[in-house]
Amino acid sequence: MRNKELKNKALRKNSKKALPVAALLLLTLPVVAEQKVFELQIKDHLFQPSVLYVPAGEKVKLLVLNQDPSPEEFESFSLNREKVILGKGKATLFVGPLQPGKYQFFGEYNPDSAQGVLIALPEEQWLRYKANHAY
Amino acid sequence: MKLYSKKAVVKALCFVCLCSSASALADGRVVDKVYHPYVQPLEREFEYRYFYQRQADHPDNNTMGQKLGYGFSVTERAALEIYVIADRISPEDYKLTGYELELRWMLTEQGQYSADWGMLFELERQNNQDNYEFTTGLLMEKEFGPTSLTLNALAVYEWGQTLDAEWEGEFRAQYRYRWLPAVQPAIELYAGENYKGAGPSLMGVHKFDKQKQLKWELAVIVAIDNDTVDRTLRFALEYEF
Repeated sequence: MRNKELKNKALRKNSKKALPVAALLLLTLPVVAEQKVFELQIKDHLFQPSVLYVPAGEKVKLLVLNQDPSPEEFESFSLNREKVILGKGKATLFVGPLQPGKYQFFGEYNPDSAQGVLIALPEEQWLRYKANHAY
Repeated sequence: MKLYSKKAVVKALCFVCLCSSASALADGRVVDKVYHPYVQPLEREFEYRYFYQRQADHPDNNTMGQKLGYGFSVTERAALEIYVIADRISPEDYKLTGYELELRWMLTEQGQYSADWGMLFELERQNNQDNYEFTTGLLMEKEFGPTSLTLNALAVYEWGQTLDAEWEGEFRAQYRYRWLPAVQPAIELYAGENYKGAGPSLMGVHKFDKQKQLKWELAVIVAIDNDTVDRTLRFALEYEF
């Protein structure tokens, strides 16, 4: 009986120690939900499309393909992202989950021409948009 | 719609507690840059860092340090930086005290996982004393809506002619509100040998032309225990081109 009590006490003590470690592990767990992928091209120092619609409230993957021979940097303060894409190269950006709204982005190497906006749509509008623009 | 949960904030704070409780003690300066875990290809920069400590009756009173560095990315995920270090430790005069080589390594893409991770490796040589300091550790950043939490958990190994060889620990944290590109207020926390401090900081970025930009940081860190020097001022400038 006494041994059992001691064992339980030790277990409680160890479980307390394990809490911060478990918290650290949880913090690093990858997001397992499948992410929607959206393609963005850079050609002649322009983003194509320059208006990109994505669903709000979920993480999305942006595949940025640079067709120009010179490098470009995707930059957006509102999305908190900056990423250099080498000439004729590609890069993957992960954004969100986003609140519904507009998020400006631009190309830092050619800020006058390379400009775009990402629009995060609430669920209902996103479903309507998807129905009207089959991928 | 709830986009980031309170649970995630609690998890991050647990990580802060875990790291600060594991902190041992370091001889070098504890208040320094809080590193972000990101590297960009084609990154090139000049960097200047300054710190000043003040407390009339403290051995570190009137200590001043400066660092001048040049950095560049060597791969899409790794960047090197070389620094020259000058210190003034009262009552001595200002002098060139050492050199440092730093490697930052981005482990995960920003936003790919629930937190972004990187690693830091630094080797510092103290001039004329044949003393060395090797620092390595994890860099972490996590977004909470318009704010970002950055944590650095570092292990430091010191050895040399006038130093006892020993392992130490350092911890740095920064919680930043991304208000405007030019003005981003934050709070910072530092823990290391004979140092535990926290305080407000302000940082921002000013863009000039194309990829040329100037980043700035200013922080006033105050002691949170009796061993720590009362006030430390930290200032940094980074010119990226």
